[in-house]
Amino acid sequence: MSDFWKRFSRNRQAVLGLIILCVVIFVAAIANFIFPTDPFLYSKFPLSAPGENGFLLGSDSIGRDVASGIAHGAKTSLLIGLIATLAAVFIGVIFGAFAGYYGGIVDDILMRITEVFQTIPSFVFAILLVAIMKPSIESVVIAITVVSWPAVARLVRGEFLGLKNREFVQACHTLGMSDVRIMLAEILPNCLSPIIVIGSLMVATAILIESGLAFLGLGDPNVMSWGFIISDGRSMLRVAWWICTFPGIAILITVLAINLVGEGLNDALNPRLRERN
Amino acid sequence: MNRSSKIIRYVSRRLIQGIPIILAIVVLNFFLLNLAEGDAVDVLAGEAGSATPEYMEEMRKKFGLDKPLPVQLAVYLKNVIQLDLGYSFRHDMQVTELIIDRFWPTLILMVSTILLAVGFGVLLGLFAAINLNTWKDSMVSVFALITYATPLFWVGLMMIILFSIKNDWFPTSGMENSAMFYEGFERVKDIAHHLVLPTITLSLFYLALYTRMMRASMLEQYGQDYVITARAKGVSERRITFVHVLRNALLPVVTMAGVQVGALIGGSVIVESVFAWPGLGMLAFESLFARDLNLLLGIFLLSSALVVAVNLVVDVIYCFLDPRIEVN
Amino acid sequence: MKLTKIMKGVLAAASIAAVGSFAQAQQAGGSLVFLVQPEPPTMAGYVSTSGPIGLLGPKIYDGLVDYDNDGKMVPMLAESVDVSPDGKTITFNLRKGVTWHDGEAFTSEDVQFTIMDVLKKVHPRGPNSFKEVSSIDTPDAHTAVFNLDNPAPYMLRALSSYESPMVPKHHLEGQDVKTAKLANNPIGTGPFKFVEWKKGQYMRLDKNENYWREGRPYLDRIVGRFVPDASTRAAAMEKGEVLYAAYNAVSNVEAVRLNKEKDNIGLTTDGYSMINPMALLEFNTKEGPFTDAAVRRAISTAIDRQYMIDTIFFGYGKPATSALSSNFSATGLHAKMPNYPANGDVAAANKILDDAGYARDGNGVRMKGMFDLIPYGEDWKRGGQYIQQVLGEIGIQVELRYEDVPTWLKRVYHNYDFEMNLNYFYQLSDPVLGVHRHYGTNMIRKGTHFVNSSRYSNPELDALLSAGMTTPDATKRAGIYLDIQKILANDMPVVNLFELEFLVVYNTKLKGAYGSAMGAYASFGDAYLD
Repeated sequence: MSDFWKRFSRNRQAVLGLIILCVVIFVAAIANFIFPTDPFLYSKFPLSAPGENGFLLGSDSIGRDVASGIAHGAKTSLLIGLIATLAAVFIGVIFGAFAGYYGGIVDDILMRITEVFQTIPSFVFAILLVAIMKPSIESVVIAITVVSWPAVARLVRGEFLGLKNREFVQACHTLGMSDVRIMLAEILPNCLSPIIVIGSLMVATAILIESGLAFLGLGDPNVMSWGFIISDGRSMLRVAWWICTFPGIAILITVLAINLVGEGLNDALNPRLRERN
Repeated sequence: MNRSSKIIRYVSRRLIQGIPIILAIVVLNFFLLNLAEGDAVDVLAGEAGSATPEYMEEMRKKFGLDKPLPVQLAVYLKNVIQLDLGYSFRHDMQVTELIIDRFWPTLILMVSTILLAVGFGVLLGLFAAINLNTWKDSMVSVFALITYATPLFWVGLMMIILFSIKNDWFPTSGMENSAMFYEGFERVKDIAHHLVLPTITLSLFYLALYTRMMRASMLEQYGQDYVITARAKGVSERRITFVHVLRNALLPVVTMAGVQVGALIGGSVIVESVFAWPGLGMLAFESLFARDLNLLLGIFLLSSALVVAVNLVVDVIYCFLDPRIEVN
Repeated sequence: MKLTKIMKGVLAAASIAAVGSFAQAQQAGGSLVFLVQPEPPTMAGYVSTSGPIGLLGPKIYDGLVDYDNDGKMVPMLAESVDVSPDGKTITFNLRKGVTWHDGEAFTSEDVQFTIMDVLKKVHPRGPNSFKEVSSIDTPDAHTAVFNLDNPAPYMLRALSSYESPMVPKHHLEGQDVKTAKLANNPIGTGPFKFVEWKKGQYMRLDKNENYWREGRPYLDRIVGRFVPDASTRAAAMEKGEVLYAAYNAVSNVEAVRLNKEKDNIGLTTDGYSMINPMALLEFNTKEGPFTDAAVRRAISTAIDRQYMIDTIFFGYGKPATSALSSNFSATGLHAKMPNYPANGDVAAANKILDDAGYARDGNGVRMKGMFDLIPYGEDWKRGGQYIQQVLGEIGIQVELRYEDVPTWLKRVYHNYDFEMNLNYFYQLSDPVLGVHRHYGTNMIRKGTHFVNSSRYSNPELDALLSAGMTTPDATKRAGIYLDIQKILANDMPVVNLFELEFLVVYNTKLKGAYGSAMGAYASFGDAYLD
């Protein structure tokens, strides 16, 4: 473990990413303390510029505090990213593990199903799902999950295919271990690293999809998120640039941070691919 | 059997396997879309400003929407097999006609985007790999990530403001100048002129992917045995990089580009919206909210077929390019 | 029989009065590119009253008359109109020498066919507007005589090319009007001919060389462009790629900015006097938390209408003061009513609820509800968000629901599965045309959109509505509508919020497009580029 940290911390960018991510999570956690009032609260000072009327980052079209929205929205955006990713990874691992381990007809069927979902243009499919289930946090999470799991399934299948014929697995067979036990306890831990890497990048993608959906008017109107603020300011870009820009920057640094951490994880967990010195 | 007949068998097998996938997609979306509340008649009546329930029932009968779902699906599939994608009641046109109309603007945008994104991605990835772990490398990574993470619509609008309004270099939107109605070469120039901003906007987004892929691919190649051997033989670093490693590193990047084709049809919804580019993405979006099922299903069908075909082409090209790959 | 000439046939005088001074020479030629948002679903303006159709249809189709900025009738396909003293016979003297775009002659048979076989049958408002017309006689090719069962003063205000376009009998006769090919290949008598419709891009109309008005139109071509993104539309306007935008194609925020920053971009609120859009709340009066009129009165009292106008519509609007738009004061029908405070009175609203016995629980909540929003854009989302908070201040906790159009339509007008709905309606040029549909018992029609969704039913009011429809005498009518407004100010099945003031944003290069009361829905026959 400390070995891992040593390798990780050698990558300065990854460490920077981790720090930024921690800051974002911290802000999300203490949002209720630094901005105790409801971020949805309208005011008599709409479209205030940053610094005007006591609004640190300005106010939006009905006078809501952009800074407050960003702090409270951090929690939503991060949670959407995290939950959607966990769900996608869960489903993808199940599909990929069974397909890779059993092979044959099980593999064929599971992979055909995966291909079906992979072939549908994902953003349009996400829009379709949200529109059908009516825009809400739940439907957005489900939509992101559905378009994200195929990539995980493919990856896990590849790993399981590679690992299932190794000696240690043969040994487990001889010992009489059940298939599920082998898959869960023996093979899966050995392919955790690519899963972690792809998972971390998925969180960033999920946040981007959420803001894209909000831009198209498909966000949840009852929950504060970065996408919510952006969708409000979208048509006011020329007269009130701050409404879109600050949450956009929040998304930018969060996605950046997650990607840097993901790359750092990749480098630390896959010494084969490490750079020549 | 020799390699070419193996490949032919492989291609035919993949094509045949592709058909049930495409059909499965159509059936899946058919049922999903029917889960949505309201139908095309509701939308038409809502836009019309009013309609009596009798009028709407009549319209439903005319559109075939009053039949039970499995019957509607069977009719649809029967038509699809005969290459008839149905009728869009909303647009009062054949679906095929509508899709073809909007397909080639999508194609133009897609091809330009891939060329630009892959081209620059390869160059940047190469640059980063050569200058590994220096500030140049970090700069490339950060630049790529920034372009990936900035909301597409924001980039698009900034492009319009900077290069169309503040500097009158490009038009704000649309595919052609709708007051001039150019013909022939003038028209090609006009379209190219309108193509620039949307292409740059969309390319910036995909750039990150190809940059990172190229960089990682180059690094993977550097770790291969043949590079160590070449170095031992005294081949110059420069030659190793540009003659051997580069060529091999390009392969996975090109594969990725092929895979992206499918994503591009859907992913361009935002760019098409911002730049009023008359592509399939916007058409799909509008047809969803108009409950124009035939049209939306037709678009899904086309894009899935495209993805299956392109994946196949890329795999086959890969086989030809890399003799070590087994065709099985 | 002494007929009253209610519209003089001298075209030049009327048009001069309407358009203003012709001090500078109109230049012929040029193309007008303007914004059409959203793309129309069809060009069948005789079947659909969808707004965007109105931006292009009236350039292709003419109506019997037009209306100037003062609301007075102006000759179009009818040169003059004579009304009998009892109001039951109306004679339209039609213009001679008018041809359809395909060369066929326009005759009174086209008028008879349009009204009796098309508008009365399939137009959303036609059956209502022409309810009293039992038959139309065509004594000769240029005279159409309308025979009415009862006088219908409102009918004469529904004859514009937008509301009642004249369609060619020889293209629709014998066909199913709703699905005829004419829909996407319109053939009219208007100043511009349909040339092509590139879906997702633009619609192109070229000059009608054989237009009945000598020397018109000035423009060679009109192109309506479809641009999905609001900021891009404003950018196109800013750059001069498009010269005209109406009905919120360019948002108020951007319109004000462009007008301020650029010398060549102007604004006007003219051109909407026949439309009278009204933002309002529809309530479910049969089920749910809002069945008590006292609660609805409290909601009406709490909302700060002026704030909504200033914040969401950038100051363009007027707080509603009754169930009728104040624009009806011109015909004496509007009267100010209580329960419509312009600035909102949260304290008074709380008192209404306290007095009605709705106590607050531990969290200060008196009742909960669902709030549906019209999915026609961000302005309405914002409006809903503001109202949600104001209601919170008086102890009503609502959850916002934002669905797409077909889902929303089904929910509200088919299933009545709503409690409170934010919406906006056109009150049009007479209350009979646009207001009655909210309140009449006979307008409770499950499955029909945009009519009495609250299922409000009041026999006393029904009688008054009937009377208002058939009373030609202006003073008597005013009295009837006064009573109507008093009842509605108390019962409030629909709470009117504010009168929307749409803007027309134009490039000063475009002249001659501002003389009609129909505004953007006019024919643009007089428009020219400077």
